Amino acid sequence: MNIVVAMKQIPDLQQIRMRNRQPSLDGVPYALGLIDKNALEAGLQLKEQSGGKVILVSVGNEEVEETMKEALAAGADEAYLVLDDDLADLESSQTAVALAELIKKIDDVGVVIFGEGSGDNYSGQVGPRVAEILGLPQVGCASHIEVNGATARVTRSLENADEILEAELPMVVTVLGDINEPRIPSVTQILKAGKKPKQIFAGSDLEIGLAGRAVSTISNLAPENARKRVAVGSVDELISVLRAEGFVGR
Amino acid sequence: MGHGPGYVEADEDMSNPLGLKAKLGLDVFKHDKEPHITIKAGMAGDQRLKKAIIVCPAGLYSENAQGEVELTIDGCLECGTCLLACGSEVLGWQYPNGGAGVQFRFG
Amino acid sequence: MSQASTFDVIVVGAGLAGLAAAYTMAREGLEVLVLERGEYPGSKNVTGGRLYLNPIRDMFPDLWAKAPLERHIAHEEVCLLDTEGAVTVRYDGAELGTQPYQSYSILRAKFDKWLGKQAERQGAMIVTKSRVDEVLFENGAVVGMRAGGEELRTNVVIAADGVLSFIAEKAGLREPFKAHDFAVGLKEIIELPRETLEARFNLQGDEGVARLYMGDVTKGKFGGGFLYTNKESISLGIVAGIEALNEAPSTIAASQMLEEFKLRPEVARLIAGGETAEYSAHVIPEGGLHAFGKFFGSGILVAGDAAGFSMNIGVTVRGMEYALASGYLAAQAVIRAKQKEDYSAAALSEYERLLKESFVMKDFENFKDSLHALENPRLFTYYPRLAGDVMRDLYEIPAGPKARIFPTIRKYFSVGELWGMGRDMWRLMKI
Repeated sequence: MNIVVAMKQIPDLQQIRMRNRQPSLDGVPYALGLIDKNALEAGLQLKEQSGGKVILVSVGNEEVEETMKEALAAGADEAYLVLDDDLADLESSQTAVALAELIKKIDDVGVVIFGEGSGDNYSGQVGPRVAEILGLPQVGCASHIEVNGATARVTRSLENADEILEAELPMVVTVLGDINEPRIPSVTQILKAGKKPKQIFAGSDLEIGLAGRAVSTISNLAPENARKRVAVGSVDELISVLRAEGFVGR
Repeated sequence: MGHGPGYVEADEDMSNPLGLKAKLGLDVFKHDKEPHITIKAGMAGDQRLKKAIIVCPAGLYSENAQGEVELTIDGCLECGTCLLACGSEVLGWQYPNGGAGVQFRFG
Repeated sequence: MSQASTFDVIVVGAGLAGLAAAYTMAREGLEVLVLERGEYPGSKNVTGGRLYLNPIRDMFPDLWAKAPLERHIAHEEVCLLDTEGAVTVRYDGAELGTQPYQSYSILRAKFDKWLGKQAERQGAMIVTKSRVDEVLFENGAVVGMRAGGEELRTNVVIAADGVLSFIAEKAGLREPFKAHDFAVGLKEIIELPRETLEARFNLQGDEGVARLYMGDVTKGKFGGGFLYTNKESISLGIVAGIEALNEAPSTIAASQMLEEFKLRPEVARLIAGGETAEYSAHVIPEGGLHAFGKFFGSGILVAGDAAGFSMNIGVTVRGMEYALASGYLAAQAVIRAKQKEDYSAAALSEYERLLKESFVMKDFENFKDSLHALENPRLFTYYPRLAGDVMRDLYEIPAGPKARIFPTIRKYFSVGELWGMGRDMWRLMKI
């Protein structure tokens, strides 16, 4: 049984800076999404339990090959990548179509793991959409995965409850950021990562017609945070105002 | 020097300087799992540590009410000035783990 | 053993020295691994500044055409700051504005990242986010290192790990540091639109200006201020002796010194309207010849700041050329050692011989007393004030009659004053 882990290359969010009050992506390095690293770690741990290979899938610009080296170094065995600068900025529905197409090329898929949401726009859609396209069962908010032969048990963690679900393989699981602590690759693993097998496709190699974007972004701004102007007459009054706003004494 | 037409009087952008914390806030810092500089056990009251209060470019050292020196590691620029000023008898000093700490974008 | 044992050489640190060495060795076909603790080459590195190309141009003939240099320095300025007022001298030599240009302002995060790419293109492997924790020895020779809990073995190590040179220390190549031999630089990158910057500093095209400040910047202590123009930003900062910072008369925090420097009207108007984009600090080795440790041992070479290759001669502070050159020379020594399959201290002593033949050691020999000569408090208080006083008396037109110039000025140059200046001059003549 092979384990597929879908990972997304995102700009290193900490490196984005404001210039003239606009976010600047100039020279910002790419990184793996944080929860995607948890998805990979979950895949590696499953492999340690039940064998098989961990195969990465990703779609994005030419830089993805370099970015995914870190995931190969951390222990993934192979990568199936769609590298196409024209496919750098897909919306969730399009990404799902491309990933599903890649996953179809992989033999003996047992579990397909996604992060619950990507590190940049966190739509949380790609995993469920891929499950839909491939006709597979899907469980989200996973905090534990256990494979038993032809089925898997997944713990789904909600705010006040842990739900244990079982499904037949193959299935899609989207994992939470606290499911595990991702491992850090060693220098030797990093050096070997460059030599691991990669299947690289251009957008035109996939027999899919990507529909145009169905959703367009109108604006993407930090929430308006109007300054409240409150006059207080005493320290007690100040404290009660701050308490009402939830700043003190919760 | 000869000033061109772009020469202007100092305006409020620069005459109202950013605080040190805000200035450090402009830099990229990647989280480390442990502090890479520590005041060695029993040394917080050592006079040599007082030098760090003056020399640290990030202002990370301060003196508390008991006259002991305290260190906040967040915002460390990893320059090593405190180590050179105070010495390795009072400070445990190593670089942050790989990939952690300050990441200069201009340098 | 691990796959890394196939590397001829491991370079610690992807700064200028390390990358120059890696580039040079990889070009000659050596298997090179560079370990860098930052997220990318340059992420831990800071310059004032500027890079002088003349001494190193021929070591890397193919590099300069596409290098991400900021502006060629066509105007050299020195500003003597008194507590009130300043005297600025600007030099616009024709040679400064003529190709090939002597020096360029640069930004290290950009430059080092680019140099790393060039080294990789020659076949070097660079692994980032990797801190070296231990040096491994066998029979007194360095045989590798431990990084991230893993042992990496190699024939020879080039320690280019920067000014604190923990690797050289672990290899027993240097004495414990003395604070006296080091200065700290604090710097802000202040962004300004290109047009504003060029108009404000009177720059044509890619011309840049370098300005050094002496005097009130460091409150009479050893050090000074600097300003370099980049393409769309200013590098503005101060350098102060680490030991001097804690000496009387005043003990003002280093960070505050920079803030006060920025508030000086002479500086404030140059950065007005600019937005600070980064704040950085870095230690600078200034001890020179007297502070050097050993440059080589069995299985190890030390290059760049780690070897102490940086120099303050007052009007110029240099380090990056020495880093690039020492990296290049260390590479030559390793290439020859590989030909003979001999990485012993005796074989690697070739590095020291190459250093001595080059401008690197000749410069340090020539300027071996410059730090001592510059550590004269009068340079940072008395002379800036004198310059200001003389200028004021020259230019002042009082309400009443103006006194004759010569007798007015003469009072600054009594026999006692001249004697003092003579002594200072004598000391400075060692530079």
